[in-house]
Amino acid sequence: MQTEIWDNQIRGLNIVLGALQSATGEICKNCIGLEGAKIKVGKMVKKLGMDLDTASICCEKTKSNLHARIDSLSESVESLEVAKECECQKTAGNCKIGAECFINAAVALMKLVQ
Amino acid sequence: MARVRCGRILGEDIYIEEGDTTTLYFINQLRVYQVVLAALKALNQDICHDGCSLPSTVNKVIKRLGKLKNDLEVSDVAVEKRESLLSSIDNFLADANRLPQDTSKTCRKSAGECRIGSGCFATGALNISKEMTEPEAQKI
Repeated sequence: MQTEIWDNQIRGLNIVLGALQSATGEICKNCIGLEGAKIKVGKMVKKLGMDLDTASICCEKTKSNLHARIDSLSESVESLEVAKECECQKTAGNCKIGAECFINAAVALMKLVQ
Repeated sequence: MARVRCGRILGEDIYIEEGDTTTLYFINQLRVYQVVLAALKALNQDICHDGCSLPSTVNKVIKRLGKLKNDLEVSDVAVEKRESLLSSIDNFLADANRLPQDTSKTCRKSAGECRIGSGCFATGALNISKEMTEPEAQKI
């Protein structure tokens, strides 16, 4: 039961990171939205790892497997390429999709994990 | 009229004439499906690969991209721009066609493998497309 929590979080983060990776090839690469999402998701992954460190999971193999998956997520977060100087691409006049934001929607996929 | 930047699709910066909402509509659709497809590709590495929600979502995306292609073909978007956008749609369709489309498999929730709660990642990924609210759909 307990490992289910990690499994679900890892599954969700994998999908979020897939979407964010695609956004790095978009004008979002220069956007504070993606910059903020990278920080936010990075914190989620870090917290997941820290919580796992202190969790009482009997099976060492299961725990080390979860750690490996979290490490892989960390690498994915690090590999997100964001420009050094970002500004909201809506404000810059480049993003014209309306009031919403792809990046925020991608990160919000984590809300599906209950 | 001034040319304005309005996105990057498949690594190429896209510019339009300011106020050209018809072209902007198609560009924004492609921008959003670029992200949706990336999320679906990530899902294909998950247990969703063996479920029915991912294929069902993929089929919807293929259908929508097909409609977008048809709409673009009969639109008044400038020929050169239209050809470039049609080529991007073909690329996205090829990507989508590589994803599972067999909906006869059992939902991973019903199979007892997916325990994220009542939500669904595949549906959630498709819902990213709702983030595009402007310009409104072209009446074609």
